[in-house]
Amino acid sequence: MLVSERELKELMVDGLDGNAAAHAALLSALVPLLRSYFRRRAHGAGDDIEDLVQETLIAVHARRATYDRSRMFSAWLFAIARYKLIDHFRRRQRECPVEDLEELLIEEGIEASTAEWDVERLLDSLPTKQANAIRGTHVEGLSVAEAASRAGIGESDVKVSVHRGLKALAARIRGVAR
Amino acid sequence: MKTEELIQSLAADVKPVSRHAVGQRIALGMTCGAVVTLTLIVAWLGLRPDLATAMYGFPLWMKWAYTTSLGIVAIAATTNLARPESKSLRWLWLLAVPILLLAGISIAELVSAPDDASVAIWLGESWKVCPWIVLILSLPIFVGLLWSYRRFAPTNLRAAGATAGLSAGAWAATLYCLHCPEVSAMFVLTWYSLGIGLATLFGALVGPRVLRW
Repeated sequence: MLVSERELKELMVDGLDGNAAAHAALLSALVPLLRSYFRRRAHGAGDDIEDLVQETLIAVHARRATYDRSRMFSAWLFAIARYKLIDHFRRRQRECPVEDLEELLIEEGIEASTAEWDVERLLDSLPTKQANAIRGTHVEGLSVAEAASRAGIGESDVKVSVHRGLKALAARIRGVAR
Repeated sequence: MKTEELIQSLAADVKPVSRHAVGQRIALGMTCGAVVTLTLIVAWLGLRPDLATAMYGFPLWMKWAYTTSLGIVAIAATTNLARPESKSLRWLWLLAVPILLLAGISIAELVSAPDDASVAIWLGESWKVCPWIVLILSLPIFVGLLWSYRRFAPTNLRAAGATAGLSAGAWAATLYCLHCPEVSAMFVLTWYSLGIGLATLFGALVGPRVLRW
């Protein structure tokens, strides 16, 4: 179940006004969003996913005063989730390559808005090569090699297209959200 | 614990949150720290005896204008960094405005001073201790800000630590003016700024460690 940015924001604001039922509904609605967010990024973390979800829920609850009602809710939420994820990597002493971190940064802009923005519609606004590369590697879950052979281009070409495309999308969404 | 149970227990404690909660909490933490700093100044250093007459002079107000303008910009940045999706801090270049203005006054001071007096004007009476005192006086305010941050969600811990240190340093220097009898712009520009800079550096160093959540 995907809940829209507007619904989440309404629940959040009601919760900030002291409505416990709205707050509980918000936290419940966040669980699937956070699960998929962490599952996609903390590869092979297994049980840690649920820990990350719970830690994020606790932070959302304990630090809800830092949400500014004039800003996007999902941007706030995923900034917290990303912090928890990076903290998790750091605690695990696991190597978290800069490349991945950068991808987290870029994808966050998209993630923040999946609730409101139709991914396909956004991809249509990109050059076909970039859109296909992103669709292959991020939506359909192909490996870079598979996406490259399907499009008949080199692997590094796919990587570059994905990178540029995501960056362009993130910039566009940020521009719209303002 | 199951996630559903966690949500139940979290939702059992839902107090209304003010729209201005972040600002209020920062103001509270700073005020408590500033009271400790002020007590330290009065009990340890003493107010300057000529404070009442100095209030009518230019130097005290010049010092206050410098330190408070740094303090206001720093607090705005500290408030901004309390939120996880903090916006760009490019406007921090505003800090250069008071520094450049004070540099202008310093140059005027140097030009009008007799040649052999410039070093004395620069070093004043207390250049050796001034930066360190500012650093020490900043600590209570810094601790107050750390308390404020316990309920915040900073994601750039080093920047948050640095701006908290800058705020603490600038406001500590503002209060230190109640003791410090130095009058020259060049003194303030060098030694006050050095103290405030040390406080900023301290904040940047400890930030990632003490602000984690």
